[in-house]
Amino acid sequence: MYMLTGALLLMGITGTLLGVIIALFARIFKVDTDPRVELVRELLPGANCGGCGKAGCAAFAKSVVAGENLPSRCPVSSQEQINAIALALGISAGSGVRKRAVVRCGGDMFQTKERLNYNGVCDCNAAAVVAGGPKGCRYGCLGMGSCANVCPFGAIEIVNNLALVHRELCVGCGKCADVCPRHVIALVPADAEIHVYCNSPEKGAEKRKQCKVGCIGCRKCARYSSDQFTISGTLASVNYEAETLPGEEDVEKIQCPTGALLSAREHHRIETHDPNWKKDEK
Amino acid sequence: MKYLELTVGAALVYNFVLTRFLGICPFLGVSKRISTALGMSGAVVFVMTVASFCTSLIYNYLLKFSWNGKVIDLSFLQVLIFILVIAALVQVIEIVMQKLTPGLYQALGIYLPLITTNCAVLGSAALNFNAGRSVIDATIFGCFSGIGFAIALLIFASLRERLELASPPKAFEGIPIGLVTAGILAMAFVGFSGLC
Amino acid sequence: MSKIRSFKGGMHPEYDGKELTDSCCVIEAPLLEKYYVVLAENAGRPPKPCVAAGDKVRKYQLIAEADGFVSADLHAPTSGTVEGIVDVPGPMGGSVQAVVIVSDGNDHGSAPFDCWEKWQEKSGAELLERIRKAGIVGMGGAAFPSHVKLAVPPGKKVDTLIINGAECEPYLTADHRLMAEYPQKVITGAAVMGKLLDVSNIIIGVEDNKPDAVAALEMASAGTSVRVQLLEVRYPQGAEKQLIYAVTGRSVPPGGLPFDAGCVVQNAGSAAAVSDAVLQGIPLIERIVTVSGEAVRSPGNFKLRIGTPVIEAVKLAGGITEEPGKLILGGPMMGFAQRSFDVPIAKNTSGILLLPPKAALNFSSSPCIRCGRCVEVCPMKLMPCLLCASIEGGRFDLALKDHVMDCLECGACAYVCPSRRPLVQQFRRAKSELRKKR
Repeated sequence: MYMLTGALLLMGITGTLLGVIIALFARIFKVDTDPRVELVRELLPGANCGGCGKAGCAAFAKSVVAGENLPSRCPVSSQEQINAIALALGISAGSGVRKRAVVRCGGDMFQTKERLNYNGVCDCNAAAVVAGGPKGCRYGCLGMGSCANVCPFGAIEIVNNLALVHRELCVGCGKCADVCPRHVIALVPADAEIHVYCNSPEKGAEKRKQCKVGCIGCRKCARYSSDQFTISGTLASVNYEAETLPGEEDVEKIQCPTGALLSAREHHRIETHDPNWKKDEK
Repeated sequence: MKYLELTVGAALVYNFVLTRFLGICPFLGVSKRISTALGMSGAVVFVMTVASFCTSLIYNYLLKFSWNGKVIDLSFLQVLIFILVIAALVQVIEIVMQKLTPGLYQALGIYLPLITTNCAVLGSAALNFNAGRSVIDATIFGCFSGIGFAIALLIFASLRERLELASPPKAFEGIPIGLVTAGILAMAFVGFSGLC
Repeated sequence: MSKIRSFKGGMHPEYDGKELTDSCCVIEAPLLEKYYVVLAENAGRPPKPCVAAGDKVRKYQLIAEADGFVSADLHAPTSGTVEGIVDVPGPMGGSVQAVVIVSDGNDHGSAPFDCWEKWQEKSGAELLERIRKAGIVGMGGAAFPSHVKLAVPPGKKVDTLIINGAECEPYLTADHRLMAEYPQKVITGAAVMGKLLDVSNIIIGVEDNKPDAVAALEMASAGTSVRVQLLEVRYPQGAEKQLIYAVTGRSVPPGGLPFDAGCVVQNAGSAAAVSDAVLQGIPLIERIVTVSGEAVRSPGNFKLRIGTPVIEAVKLAGGITEEPGKLILGGPMMGFAQRSFDVPIAKNTSGILLLPPKAALNFSSSPCIRCGRCVEVCPMKLMPCLLCASIEGGRFDLALKDHVMDCLECGACAYVCPSRRPLVQQFRRAKSELRKKR
C-alpha cells in the first residue's frame, strides 16, 4: 500500500512540478508564431526552388501571410494548390501568367560547327571563361548542362549537345536562366507553342556560316503577322504579349526557310527522335 | 585519478556513439553540416549534464527512502521518471531555442524533440543508476558523455562535409558511404580501449 | 653581386624551350600592308577610337583614347588610311574590335612629344603624364596601364621599384633579348620611373639563366642607382607577388596590391618603352615578340608593330614545318590558345608559340589521388586539390573561404598534376562565378 501511494505521489508531484516549469518557460520565452504560416508552408510544394524570388518555401509562406506576395507567385504550385492557399487565407489568389523555360537555340551538334577542340571542364560557365566554348556561335547554347544540373525538377536534358526543356516537367522557376552564361534560356508564357530557336544578334551571313538553323532575319514571319512576331536587327522573336499567340498552323503557313521558327512539339521531336533529318535534307 | 578515469572513459573509451552505439539517430541525422552538428552537440551536452544531475538526485534521494520505519523501494519506476525528466528538459530547451536561435531551431527540425528519445541521454542516466554514482560523479559522467557525443558528431560532420565533395560510386552516395565512414571511425575509437 | 634569391614553391619544367631563341638577335620586321590594332587589350574598358573609316593617319598619331581608369591610349603603328573598325579574333579569346590601318608604305610620322634629354629636371607629374600619353601598359601579361600602376594612392608609401626581367615562362626570350641588346633603355626607363616615384631603391630582377643580359645590364647600370638582382630559375618567378617576395622579402597581403608592400613592379619591356617615350618622345607602337615552338622553321625574336597579324609574324620566322597542334599567344603556361592565325598581336603579346601536335595532345583527367604535388608548387600557398574538389561539388563558398580569389592562374598546379586535372580552369570558373555574385 505504501509502495503504491509512494509511487503515485512521486510521479504525480514530479509530473506537476515539471509541468509548471515548462509552462513558466513557455510563458517567458514566448514566440509569436502565426499558425497560418505553417499552414501555407504545408500547402506549398516544398521544392525550395526560389522561383518566387524568396529563399525558400518557408520564406515565401511568411511573405504570403504578411501580404507581400500573392499565392500565384509560386511558379510550381498548380492552380488548384494556389486556390487552396488563397482559400485558407481568405485572400485572392492573384492571377499570374504561368511561365516556362525555353532554350532559344536549335544549334545541336549536327547543325552548328565546332570551331575549336574543347578539352576542359564539362560545365557551361567553365567553358565560357576560356575562349567562349567550342561551338561556332557565340550566342547559342553551349550544351554542357549547367542548366540541367541546377534544375530542381529534372526538366532539362542535354540531347545532341543542346539543352532541351521537357515542357511537362518545367515549372518556370528560372534557375536555369540565371545560371546560363549565354542567357539563351528565356521564361515565356507556358501556353506559348511557337518559339524562335535562335538567340544570335549577328548578321545573317555570319550565322549561316556557323549554324544551319540560325534565324537570318528574312522577315517572312513578320510579314505574315507583324503582331505575333517582332524583328530586331537580324533576329526574329515571338511577341509573347500578342493577343493570340501563333499556333502550329501558322508555322506551317510561314514556312521558315531555316527552321528556326518551330513549335515546341516539333523541336522536341527533332531533337529526341530523328537527329539527322535536316542533315540529309541539306 | 578517479575523475580522470571517469571523464576520459565517458568521452573516449566508452564513447556513447562509437563504442556503445547509442544515439545513432541524431548522429546520422544532423551531421550534414558542421554548424548544425555544433548546435546539436551543445543541446545534447546540456541535456545530458542536467538530466544526469536531476536523475541522480531522484535515484539517490527519492526512489529509495524509509517512511515510518518501512523501506520503500521505488526503483522499478526509474525508466518512467527518467523519461519524464528528460522530456521536460528537452521541452524547455526547445522553447528557449525557438526564441533565441530560430535559425538553429529550424535547422535541427525534428531532431531536437527527438533528443527525448535519444538513448544516449537515457543511457547515461541508466548507467549512472546501475553504477550507483553519487550526484557529483553522475553529473561529471553525464557531461563528459555528452562531450564524447559531441566529439563523435563533429568529427563525423567534418568528414561528411568532405565526403559530399567526393565522387563515390552511385550506389554509395549519401548515407551508405556515411555509414561506411562511421564504421571506420568506430574502429578507430577501439584504439582507446584499455586506456581505463 | 648578391646571392641568388627566390620565392617559395613553384617549379621549373625539365625542358623550357628557351634555347630555341635565347641567342637570336632581335630582327626588325619589314612594313606590312595592314595592321589590326586591337582596342580591348586588358580587363578594363576598351579605349574609344577617335578615327573613322577613310581617315588619313600618320605614324604615332593617336587613334583611340583611353576610356576610364584601366584603359590606355592607342597610336597608329604606321602612316596610311583607316580602313574601318572591324571584329577580329581577340588575343585573349573571343572576338574584339580592331582599328584596321592600311599602310601607305611611307611610314611617315614625327615624334608627337618633346624629346626630354634632361628628364631629370622634369617633375614626377610631368613624367607620369608622358607615360600616360604614350599609352604604355604592362607588357608582361595583363596589359595593365603603367600610369595607373605608377600612381601611388594617397596614404601608401613606396620605397622600392622593381623592374621585372625574370621572364620565367618557358620558350619566351623577348625580355631576355631586350635586356641583352638594349640594356641602356631598360636602365633609363627604370631611372625615369624611379625619379617619378621618388625612390632610390631600384632593382631589376633577372633569372639566373640570362648571363648575357645580366652582364649587359650591370655594365649599363654602372654609376646609376639601379641594381641587378639575380633570381633562381623557377616558375613563376616573374609573378608580381612572387617577385616582390624574392627581391625584398616582403609579402603582399591577400587581395592586396604591390603598394601594400611598399613596391611598384614594372616589366622590363615597359621600362624600355618609358625610355623611348621620354628620350625620343614616341608612344608605344612596337614591341619585341618571341616567335618560337617546334613547329616554326626558324624561331627568333622580332620587333613587331602592335597590330601585326600572327600569320605575318610566323612568315617572318620562316613559316611552319608541320601543321601546329596549338597556337598560343604568350607563354605556354599562362598564354592564350588561339583558334586562328588572323589574331593580331597586342601590347602585351610577348610570344607567339606554335607547338607541334605531339605537344598538344588531348587527354582526359582522372580523379585526384591526393598526392599533394599541387600544394607543394603553389606559389600562393593555396591548396589546389581541395579548391578543385569544392568547386566541382558546387561549393563556391568553401572555395572562397580557402582563398581561391588569390590564385594567380600561373598553372604550376595543373602542370605537375599527375591526374591531369584542369585545375586552373576550375579556379577561373570559380573566380568568375564569385565575382558575378558580388
